[in-house]
Amino acid sequence: MTRYALYPGCLMPTEQYGYEVSLKSTLPLLGVELVELQGFSCCGEPLKSINQMLTLTLSARNLAICEKEELDILVPCPMCHLALSESKSILDGDAKMKERINSKLSGEGLEYRGISRIFHIIDLIHDVIGLDAVREKVEKPLSGLNFATHYGCHLIRPSSLGRPVDPENPQKMENILEALGAKADDYAEKLDCCGAPLLPVHPETSLTKAGQKLRSIQEQEFSGMALSCPWCHKMYDSRQKKAGETVGARLSVPVFYLTQLMGLAFGVDGEKLGLDLNLSPLEKVLDREKEVTS
Amino acid sequence: MRRIGVFVCHCGINIASKVDVEDVTDFSSRLEGVVVSKDYKYMCSDPGAKLIKDSISEYGLDGVVIASCSPRMHEHTFRGVAEDGGINPYNVEITNIREQCSWAHEDRGEATKKAKSLVRAAVAKALLLEPLEKSRTPVTPEALVIGGGIAGMQAALDIADDGFKVHLVEKEPTIGGRMAQLDKTFPTLDCSSCILTPKMMETKNHPNIDLMTYSRVISVEGSVGNYRVKVLKKARYVDVDKCTGCGDCTTACRIAGHVPDPFNMNMGKRAAAYIPFPQAIPLKATLDPDHCLMLRFGKCGDGPLCVKACEAGAIDFDQKDQEIEINVGTIVVATGYDVLDAGKLFEYGYTRSPDVITTLELERLISSSGPTKGEVVLPSSNEKPRSVTFILCAGSRDETQCTWCCRIGCMSALKHVYLLREKLPCETEINICYTDIRSFGKGYEEFYRKIRGVGVSFFRGRPSEVRVSRKNITIDVFDTTTNKLFEIGTEMVVLVPALVPRADSEEFSRILGLSRSGDGFLLEAHPKLRPMDTFVNGIFVAGCCQGPKDISDTVSQASGAASRAAGILTKDELENDPLIAWVDPEVCVGCGVCVEVCAYSARKINEVTGIAEVDDALCAGCGACIAACPSNACTHRNYTKQQLVRMIDEVV
Amino acid sequence: MSITDLTSMAEAQVGERQEINERLRKLREEVSDSCFQCARCTSGCEAHKLLELEPHRIVALLKRGLIDEMVNSDIIWTCMSCFKCKERCPQKVAPVNILFTLKNLAVASGKQIPGDFTAMLQSAMGIGLIQDVQSVPTRSGETRRREDLGLPPCSKPVDPAKFQQTIMTVAMEKV
Repeated sequence: MTRYALYPGCLMPTEQYGYEVSLKSTLPLLGVELVELQGFSCCGEPLKSINQMLTLTLSARNLAICEKEELDILVPCPMCHLALSESKSILDGDAKMKERINSKLSGEGLEYRGISRIFHIIDLIHDVIGLDAVREKVEKPLSGLNFATHYGCHLIRPSSLGRPVDPENPQKMENILEALGAKADDYAEKLDCCGAPLLPVHPETSLTKAGQKLRSIQEQEFSGMALSCPWCHKMYDSRQKKAGETVGARLSVPVFYLTQLMGLAFGVDGEKLGLDLNLSPLEKVLDREKEVTS
Repeated sequence: MRRIGVFVCHCGINIASKVDVEDVTDFSSRLEGVVVSKDYKYMCSDPGAKLIKDSISEYGLDGVVIASCSPRMHEHTFRGVAEDGGINPYNVEITNIREQCSWAHEDRGEATKKAKSLVRAAVAKALLLEPLEKSRTPVTPEALVIGGGIAGMQAALDIADDGFKVHLVEKEPTIGGRMAQLDKTFPTLDCSSCILTPKMMETKNHPNIDLMTYSRVISVEGSVGNYRVKVLKKARYVDVDKCTGCGDCTTACRIAGHVPDPFNMNMGKRAAAYIPFPQAIPLKATLDPDHCLMLRFGKCGDGPLCVKACEAGAIDFDQKDQEIEINVGTIVVATGYDVLDAGKLFEYGYTRSPDVITTLELERLISSSGPTKGEVVLPSSNEKPRSVTFILCAGSRDETQCTWCCRIGCMSALKHVYLLREKLPCETEINICYTDIRSFGKGYEEFYRKIRGVGVSFFRGRPSEVRVSRKNITIDVFDTTTNKLFEIGTEMVVLVPALVPRADSEEFSRILGLSRSGDGFLLEAHPKLRPMDTFVNGIFVAGCCQGPKDISDTVSQASGAASRAAGILTKDELENDPLIAWVDPEVCVGCGVCVEVCAYSARKINEVTGIAEVDDALCAGCGACIAACPSNACTHRNYTKQQLVRMIDEVV
Repeated sequence: MSITDLTSMAEAQVGERQEINERLRKLREEVSDSCFQCARCTSGCEAHKLLELEPHRIVALLKRGLIDEMVNSDIIWTCMSCFKCKERCPQKVAPVNILFTLKNLAVASGKQIPGDFTAMLQSAMGIGLIQDVQSVPTRSGETRRREDLGLPPCSKPVDPAKFQQTIMTVAMEKV
């Protein structure tokens, strides 16, 4: 078992419980031990518009907490992943700034050293654990299902920083879904933004963005959407109904966390995957699965 | 007893303002060995030269010291003046009292003191200089031109017309290059083949041109005047003496219609037995070893169909590659360009939709000898497109792809618009998304004006992406002229891609010892004043291998390179600079260290005498062997240790 | 008037503003200079169609030093921080970063912080997270809390007072 500090951020542990439940039920099956540390705070990315120094400080603080235990970090939320990665890049390259931030962190007995690596679930599974290990665990392949993958902006950009997946043609989620027995066709809107960062300021616009993409996916007859970001899930799943109202469409698109789909394929019990916490109509997929396996 | 003359230059006020030149002149006149010392305003001028020459004869000088600007400026001139005046040109010592003295110091007193010191050292060296003779190497009066496109053919024809034999090596089975792939040329809309094929014929028929097609240069040794080149003549698996170019094998071939055709930019298919295009020269078939079943697997059904079809019995599966050695005096490189792989710009949809194509691919669709016989149709449906959108600068002027401007993109796109208006119904929508329109050449701006009048929508903005959905293709582009975002629904997208160096240019440049500029194209010696020379003496460049350009600039450069090359070939002998390494045969033990350190392959150990030798033509006088020689057997002529130590003594 | 003169007319956080001004100056001189207004950023901007944000225009205004106009505007708050402009720009300009800095400057200059940011900031300073744990609905209409799902308590700063001190060195006085 390889140990990783789990950095949960804000949204997942306060609201997007389905993500947390499903990743805790599936990753250990792939040899990942998740270490839960005390003392975390927001990564600071949602507050970047207010004060970028605050973001840098908060991210450094969270990195320091993980580094105290000398653990690499698993970050399920791409927004947190971007914040932590960008802060690491700044501090590793600017000794003066590092000194300045560390003087702020010293009050809590923390120090950023730059020794921990940062992973998201997708690159952890695809690059570190490997698809063979995933295939071995599959008991109920997701045959006949075709998912529209949604990576989310912060997972794929800006590529100059180094992101877990390719910025223009990401394929890692597709490869994982394939290993789980499903298909994941390409579609024109694949890289479109979910709108979440504008929720504090222009919520209608955010919902319009989400609604427009969902409507397109619905028209293209995918089985559902697969994603790995709590913000995107909040928009596409938790707010699907409202998004539909905003764009004047009746939306009925099953939206899953990748870890939930992985759990289904591994034969994990639905309750342990938080499936009832998804507000989108998962039955369209789950009932079909029941048909296939019965 | 030596008789040295010292000549101090004022260089106007460049030297004289900081150095008391009269004082220096006076000081010099009293140095040991100096019989006369003069100063003048501009020593490099005609009167200055006369002063030196008159002094040589009047005072019977046998050596000259010039205190002036850097030798990089006028060393050559002053050596000439000395020779004119009757003394050996290598009995000239120049000391730099400008860049290294007057231009570097504020205080007049100090500058003058330093100038005197420099002159004293120079005189000391001058007393020890030896007269040197330039050695001569004969020039092989033949040229090699690498590349048989328009640049290579033009250069070859010019050199051949000058009366020299030219070996023209082309890696494809035919000459013609990129121009053979074009339909029309801008801005005159000449038919490309119509202006190209006469040149191809001329090249083929010229008695002085030895055409080697389907061949590659694999090694180059030697130096200007004497290059020894190895050429690999690849096996066509067709006996060219028997082959009539009838083309029967190309239609009979078992896998006809299955092999992607690179001449048609892989938009069409051909057979394993092929003739690249109907006007190919030489008009001979070639078998593609990467696809031919016989060559790959040793069998082809119940027997190769090309053999059955060939009445001349020209197919020869046993043919082998040949290595040919040629000796030439100069080389002209004209290897052309490649087009950026548009798949690298994933967001533009090149790999997502067959209807997103590049300009060169569109050129093949437009061309009557192309895969659709000149019908412009969508690759996905073979229907005429109702809307065509051009995106300029795809991958160009881009810090993340190719930083340079491709120079011809704007004009090719405008040309295509014109041709599309001819070929497609008038209601076809044509859009151009541009960042700038660069129509810089003669007749180009007028052509642009013409195209502005054919009902094309110009959008000044660069699209972020091309959206390919199952139903259609849409492009969002912000037009800065109207400050509006336009959503363009289109059926065919034409990307104007960056032009890049040939894929093998790194390896190729190493074979010739050529440098490349930051963009990867071959490096010219000076972008303004020596655009067809390279840093290797005797090797010249022409055409797009040196940087993207249009056909007129290519032809100009090719003729220029030919002239430069011929200038060397007209000489019977080349003189070699004698300021190079020299080995004392009494001291040298033949250890071979010098051979290892020489970057110019100018050293070898004589097999008979066991002593190291210097090749006068190749030695560049860099000094590496002199530093490396453990026995101190090696010195630099007229920069000997003895001379330099004397100079240091004087200064210190 | 220089950029510094214009912004130093407002009251507090002189040091903060100097820092942001320095960042802007750097962005202006090092980054916005390269922009040749190809408008690729705006062509692909996720916020443009709905909110009319024009990233290329932001860069051009910065180049001319027309900072005030932007800092006082609402338009800078429409950026979706999707980073597409930075990714696709052929000259390595990053309008998104310019926008972040302009927003920071607006806040430091005492402008009203729009939307929910204030609440998020206050929550972050109080409990360390931008919102507290919620009860969420299920698809079948029930409610679940974190503990109902067998999840351990949410990770938060161990010593809130010390945590607040850490971020007070950075946070806005005005908030």
